Amino acid sequence: MIKRLIAVLAVAAIFGNVYAARAATPLRPINISYQPTNYWALPFVLATKKGWWQKVGLQPKFSTFPAGAPQVAAAASGSWDVGGMGSVPAVLGAARYGILTIGITNDESATNALMVNGSKAAEYEKNPQAMKGQRILLTANSTGEYAVVACLKKYGLTESDVTPVDMGQAQILSALSGGSANLGALWAPNTYTFEEKLHGKLLCSGRDAGAMIPGSLVARAAYAKEHPDMVARFLAVYEHSIRWEKAHPAEAQKELVEADKEGGTEISPASAKAEMDLRPIYDLSQQLKIMSGSPSSVDRWFAGIIAFMKGKGSLQTVPKPQEFITAKYMKMVQDDPKLRAFANSSSD
Amino acid sequence: MSVRRRDLIALSFAGTAVFFGVWWLVASNKHVNALILPDPVKVIATFVYLTSHTFANYTIQQHLGSSLLRFTYGFVLAAVIGVPLGLAMGWLRWLDYIVSPLFEAVRFVAPIAWVPFAVLWFGTGIGGPVLIIFAGAFPPCLVNAYRGARHVDRNLIEAAQTLGASDRTIIFQVLLPAALPSIVAGLRISAGLGWQSLIGAELIVVSAGIGYLMVQGQSNLDTAIVMSGMIAIGLVGVAIDVALRQLERLVGGTRGMA
Amino acid sequence: MKNRARLVTGIITLLAVCAMWYLTTQATHLISTGRFPSPADVYTAARQISHPPGYANATIWQHIVQSLELVVLGFLVAAATGVPLGIAMGLSPRFEAFVNPVFLMIRPVPPLAWIPLAVVWFGLSAAAQIFVVWFAAFVPALINAYTGVRTVDRTLIEAARIHGASRRRLLTDVIVPGALPFIFTGLRLSLQASWTTLIAAQLVGSIAGLGHVLIVASIDIYPGMIFYGMLWVAILGAAMTFVLAQTERLAMPWHQ
Repeated sequence: MIKRLIAVLAVAAIFGNVYAARAATPLRPINISYQPTNYWALPFVLATKKGWWQKVGLQPKFSTFPAGAPQVAAAASGSWDVGGMGSVPAVLGAARYGILTIGITNDESATNALMVNGSKAAEYEKNPQAMKGQRILLTANSTGEYAVVACLKKYGLTESDVTPVDMGQAQILSALSGGSANLGALWAPNTYTFEEKLHGKLLCSGRDAGAMIPGSLVARAAYAKEHPDMVARFLAVYEHSIRWEKAHPAEAQKELVEADKEGGTEISPASAKAEMDLRPIYDLSQQLKIMSGSPSSVDRWFAGIIAFMKGKGSLQTVPKPQEFITAKYMKMVQDDPKLRAFANSSSD
Repeated sequence: MSVRRRDLIALSFAGTAVFFGVWWLVASNKHVNALILPDPVKVIATFVYLTSHTFANYTIQQHLGSSLLRFTYGFVLAAVIGVPLGLAMGWLRWLDYIVSPLFEAVRFVAPIAWVPFAVLWFGTGIGGPVLIIFAGAFPPCLVNAYRGARHVDRNLIEAAQTLGASDRTIIFQVLLPAALPSIVAGLRISAGLGWQSLIGAELIVVSAGIGYLMVQGQSNLDTAIVMSGMIAIGLVGVAIDVALRQLERLVGGTRGMA
Repeated sequence: MKNRARLVTGIITLLAVCAMWYLTTQATHLISTGRFPSPADVYTAARQISHPPGYANATIWQHIVQSLELVVLGFLVAAATGVPLGIAMGLSPRFEAFVNPVFLMIRPVPPLAWIPLAVVWFGLSAAAQIFVVWFAAFVPALINAYTGVRTVDRTLIEAARIHGASRRRLLTDVIVPGALPFIFTGLRLSLQASWTTLIAAQLVGSIAGLGHVLIVASIDIYPGMIFYGMLWVAILGAAMTFVLAQTERLAMPWHQ
């Protein structure tokens, strides 16, 4: 008797759920990857917080990474569909797994930098040649490494003039705090942590060295081919977040502090403001502008990065910018009136 | 006799006091940066703070839960595959000859050496850390089950054979019960190794868990958080070990009675 | 007879696996080489790292030597500290009572969890890795030495005492030999722990060594090199265990 009752209840529950699911608007799942405490990830966090993904019918699942290289490695197993990463791992991803760059997250030339322990700052500022033979801690295949190489070039040094040591950002901070090395390649917000807590100094950023370091919005080529509309929707949400940030700077600053805290890094409001001041972000029309032309501005920026990676020996086959950088999906947003309207609005 | 006992307890307290005293002294020294060695009180305070406030998205208990989940998957997988396989290898010579060389070849690869491939094969899925834990937990499960099976009293086996038992019956109904103490001892070692390997895996790529908490603590130059993580890991490790020791005692006791 | 059958089957099995490996990766591309290297990939990686300038700042031989130096050093320091301490704890209940609580508190922390702290305290020097390795190897050495001493047959000790053996002779001629099997078990576990921990320590924060090769290859997404690195980790691990087993046989010819 009881058994029959349970069976009836179970069947009712199943039908009830199916009915409820049918009645609700279907949201389509999408896997998004990013690095949590990075400024260019703020749009993702905002969109999740304010429910903007659902407005275009997306149900995202997120995976986070400490740096770009493991993010690219994860693409091999199709763990994620779209996301954001530094331009250097984006090139590696293009060469290895056909990862497309479908937009630019930000210009982070000023926040990828060669940092130095406070005590040594004056010495190296006066005489950069003193860096010869010194250990420089850096995260390989990253925008940080690219900034360092550009800076060394500015000083008339090459990577073989110094001793580069490959480690994760967290380990670099630990090693710098212990004093076993004085020079490290950091990217924001680790740059702020180093400055505020260890009294470190920024010796030379990518911008100082004249290197343009963009961040990439990326998509797996196979996924983009199969679901171009999903990629376009993803971009529309990102651009909407960008618009919102530009329209509400004070609030965006607070959100950035909050987002970084949740990601595990505590930065001061002053650093958050610095992030926003130093790192240009691009709304839809700006994206289309920098990606138009043959070669486009973006093509030229990436040419420098490709040359860097080829010189390192990380790439056996060298992709051409046109092969993996595409404005196609930004254009899809522009051409769809609903998506365009959403991407260009800055409403909550 | 009781005087000696009191002596011993006093000595234990003394030892602990000396340890914390030295720690406190070193940490309080002006020349020692709090980033290098926070004092014991700060570490305990941080630990308590983390139980009610989130860091890197979760409280310390939630991070622990995330780690424990991965550990459980990896450990259970290792036991479920390792123990039957070990028993079967102990009984079926041909299986032993085929599997042993493969096992020996892979066995010396430190579990953490699998991390690069784990990232490549599983991305951020739970498969990555589970592979690492499996790599650490599997060998003792297999080896102890195998040894236990090989040392089973010949008489028991022969008796079963005369009664016409199949291979399957022998493995599961004769070898398994008789090898149980060895198996459970193996499980205890396996759990310890698996838990240790987990931390290594989490230092490299995940987005929640105790190892992740520690890496984020590093990124923040907050050594107190790193040490809180170590305490949490240690406590859970002890809990797992104690639980399995109880199991070992239970199993050992039953054997005596049988 | 039995051993030969085992050896032959073993060789055949390994050859069969190699053949499958070749077929699935190189011949048919069933498994994409982006995710698992083909034999050719591994060969390419092996060639690259064998000749200067090698890979990850050094040739494979330099990495191997660096790793071996550190593991042997860490292991020896652990043995030299753990075994005597374990024996002392086994002999003196007073000493045990003093040291045990601290030991019980520190012991459950996995060696790998010490790495972040070690990097802060010792930086990138070999000292950081040796510290972590020492910690990993120290614990089993101590525990097993302790157990060994405690399980020495009481009657043997009493017999020696009755015959007027001094405390020193008691130690060197009765207790230590009696505890030797356990001590060697401890040393075996120590060595395995040392090797595993060293690779881990090098993966996370080091500038050379096999673990470092693995992490650099991982970030470069270079499966062939990852595989080659792992191969050497396995070979050296097996070799060290073998050497220790031989030492055990020499030290305790009466055992088995």
